[in-house]
Amino acid sequence: MTEAGQDTNSLVQVKQLAVTFYTPTGTVRAVRDASFEIMRSEVLGLVGESGCGKSTVAFAIMGYLPGMHQVEGDIYYEGKDINDLSASELRKLRGNRIAMVYQDPATCLNPSMRVGPQVEETLKMNLGLDPARAHERTVELFESVGLADPENIGKRYPHQLSGGMQQRIVIAMALACDPDLLIMDEPTTGLDVTTEATILDLVVDLKKRVRAGILFVSHNLGVIARVADRVAVMYAGQVIEQAPARELFRNPRHPYTAGLLSCVPQPPSAEGTVTKLTGIPGVVYEASKVDIDACLFAPRCPLAADRCTAQAPGMEDAGDRHESRCFFWRDVRKGLWGKEVPWEPVSRDTESLLCARGLRKFYGRWQRKYLFFGPRVRPPVRALVDVDFDVRSGRTLGVVGESGSGKTTIARTVAGLIPRNRGELRLHGEELAPEVEDRSRKHRDALRMVFQNPTASLNPQLPVSHAIVRSLRKLVGLGRAESRKRAAELLQAVGLDPGYLGRLPGELSGGEQQRVALANAFAGNADLILADEAVSSLDVSVQAQVLDLLDKHQKEQGTSYIFISHDLGVVRYVSDDILVLYAGHVAESGPAGSVLKPPMHPYTEALLSAAPVPDPDARPSSIRLPGAVPTLRERFQGCFFAGRCPRKIGAICDRTPPPGHTGSDSDDHVIYCHIPVDELLRLQE
Amino acid sequence: MANQDRLELGPPQPADSGVMASQAVTGTARTGLLRTTNARATAALGSLLGQFRLALRTPAGRIGLPLVLLHLIIALAGPWLAPYAPTAFVGSQLEPPSWQFLMGTDQFGRDILSRVMSGAGSIIAVSVAGAALGIALGTLVGMASGYKGGRTDEVVMRVMDGLMSFPSLLMALLVLTSLGANAANIVLTIGVVFTAPVSRVMRSITLSLKTQEFVQSARMRGEPVPYIIFREILPNTLPVLAVEGSVRLSYAILLASSLGFLGLGVQPPSPDWGLMISESRRFIVVAPWVALAPAVAVATLIVGVNLLTDGIRQARTLPREGTQV
Repeated sequence: MTEAGQDTNSLVQVKQLAVTFYTPTGTVRAVRDASFEIMRSEVLGLVGESGCGKSTVAFAIMGYLPGMHQVEGDIYYEGKDINDLSASELRKLRGNRIAMVYQDPATCLNPSMRVGPQVEETLKMNLGLDPARAHERTVELFESVGLADPENIGKRYPHQLSGGMQQRIVIAMALACDPDLLIMDEPTTGLDVTTEATILDLVVDLKKRVRAGILFVSHNLGVIARVADRVAVMYAGQVIEQAPARELFRNPRHPYTAGLLSCVPQPPSAEGTVTKLTGIPGVVYEASKVDIDACLFAPRCPLAADRCTAQAPGMEDAGDRHESRCFFWRDVRKGLWGKEVPWEPVSRDTESLLCARGLRKFYGRWQRKYLFFGPRVRPPVRALVDVDFDVRSGRTLGVVGESGSGKTTIARTVAGLIPRNRGELRLHGEELAPEVEDRSRKHRDALRMVFQNPTASLNPQLPVSHAIVRSLRKLVGLGRAESRKRAAELLQAVGLDPGYLGRLPGELSGGEQQRVALANAFAGNADLILADEAVSSLDVSVQAQVLDLLDKHQKEQGTSYIFISHDLGVVRYVSDDILVLYAGHVAESGPAGSVLKPPMHPYTEALLSAAPVPDPDARPSSIRLPGAVPTLRERFQGCFFAGRCPRKIGAICDRTPPPGHTGSDSDDHVIYCHIPVDELLRLQE
Repeated sequence: MANQDRLELGPPQPADSGVMASQAVTGTARTGLLRTTNARATAALGSLLGQFRLALRTPAGRIGLPLVLLHLIIALAGPWLAPYAPTAFVGSQLEPPSWQFLMGTDQFGRDILSRVMSGAGSIIAVSVAGAALGIALGTLVGMASGYKGGRTDEVVMRVMDGLMSFPSLLMALLVLTSLGANAANIVLTIGVVFTAPVSRVMRSITLSLKTQEFVQSARMRGEPVPYIIFREILPNTLPVLAVEGSVRLSYAILLASSLGFLGLGVQPPSPDWGLMISESRRFIVVAPWVALAPAVAVATLIVGVNLLTDGIRQARTLPREGTQV
């Protein structure tokens, strides 16, 4: 079946692939030079930051490129050039032999059709199975992707399934025709960490069972480390490094890869020391620019020499199946991106700045069957139920939890953007009004917020200066000229040129926009800055820079932060104290050091074991949470976590709300669990 | 300064886009940052011209733009370009089209072409003013109601629903017969009739924009509500507003000529397209040309405005000019 001279294991070879799009806003050189090979029974991880062309590569193999485009280079499938295939052969190849799994499972499934028939349809169409056989095979497929109750799950509609289950259905559908090549484009990006972990386990398991090659595209180094056998790193449309996974993470041979690795928070070493993150300065060589005869990474590279700007490097052999697009790959070593300094968050024993007691927020109200009459049928969403926490001055409170745990509700009630239903919020001992409109100027000035989506947090129609200048005038009371001068200083403080003041937000990259949002939060004299997923939408290299800015500001001004993130790695890195939320309840809270080591709440434990770590040798913990966060419309009779708890001890969990136990080494450390602390410690060690 | 830039333009712009541009200009004039204001006014103007250039790249725009421009030229210069005075009895009654009277004459022997050309100005002025008033009122009501939300929004929108459930022509008739038919009242009527549909559109976009983080951020700065609505939200509704404006304009032309048809427009002997069609009904069998010219005029104007809007909308999805494929 293969031609002479071809490795029998080689499935797909991509040679010097280049893709150009012609769009209303100009020509986009999405992929410039990508060459790689996918073997059978192997996962090739394709990793890179946003806009580097990794998804375009995946779509080019499928032939699914949108809009007006041009593809150059060759793609060989089992040694045959697909350019030589006829249209019908190509369709057959792509329909039966290659399957794809997309980022958002909800959009892949027909919302008006039960999921079973959707899979059966594929089987009937492509393999010509009769209905009975197709149904049988569907059940087998559902079983093989680890869906509970495979017999009956096919009768459900997509909206009746959680995101993780939907993604399993999509994977089952992709496996339906027994494909040779499975392309997975960010299959876990929209999912919670706990669900992500179970899907990644499935991918690893599939690799062993199915004799297919898998192209796994992701921006997340931790995810890639967990699933990939070999990794190709992309930058500005080029594959810049390729190596077996372990080798790549141990000995990166391209400065960019080394930089990426030093941008990701690593778990603390055995001694508990954490290395400070280093960002990658500068910006990506834009896709709108033409190919040049130089290294595209040279402007940001600490190793760059004259040669790098005069000549484009090719892929150089760095031994042991390791290739790097760098002239100086021998010089790439640890510490290239700045000295590895031990990182210790400032720990001061200070007084409480913000104190929340019994904070409660329900969305909506009881709905009755006949508008104003009749029985109460639909309860409100219990987003936050009696949450207590303290933020100490000059310290960072990290808030972590899955989606639907109430993290954002905390930020918005504290900010006064949505009024709380009940509970006390005191800033410097003074009561804060529930709505921001009713708060005094002093309180508004003391509490600023950085939002998740940098693009949405700046008005797209107004220049960058607008928000900052208005903040200075409204909150600090500066005059027009003074505030413009101060705004320029603020921009400089976050590492942007003051010339950016007159630009529109759309002309800035996501990272630059988030810096502007930071400058806006730093305008005035905030005592507390609420960072709601402030770095989640940023690429890792930019994320490290933003974290560094936040840290610098804290050290200089003594500002406190509430840092909200779903990414436990980042929260661990920035926080002095941590609040673990689940379904609107506090599961555990206390100093960061005590919360993230045993004894800990079973939920914290599950989060920790699910968090992807950029290290292929990391011991994959086996604790996985089944199911999804419960709907918050019901009041929990017993423990809020009882439905998913892997350490549930019995009926008591379903009947009695858990008591708060004080942790072993700090009085501030509280765990809400029926299991005594000593027992937890024993179980977890 | 900004206004000078606009005046130097020379050829008249379609009135609806003119409304948009002047809104943008007055909006920025208040910031007091003179240099940026000027730059942005020029940019707004440039983008307006750019929109037309864009539109010319689609078939719809290539037909729509000349049609609209033709109507505008006739509206502005019609009375001077027309071969005869609109109210002069220059020929015999109901003469068929000939070289002397290109579109024939009407029941009084007046030149139909001249009457159509002279009538263009009033109908375009009335419908542009009416549409603009409707857009302004609808924007105000819709955005305020949408931003406030809750019970106020509920009440305001139910009132608007009530207004909308009334056929627009019937409502216009009601207002005009009670207030008296003159140009100002027609504009007012069109404005009131259009408030409800425009406010719906503006409310829905305000609802989605008000949850955006930049609005939340303005709330946290303590900006007053009118500032948030007009300075933060309004500029972001401009694309929707532009589409809504052109849709409303073509409806306004239709409504204005319907009112003329019913005898509630410009009073005779001044030329009015709707009235001309209405009067021609009696001779439609013997002299169809009497109805033809004004009917074609109304139709081409509405079709032109619609095609131009479609053209601009389509052109946004095309690759940039001059790209080599």
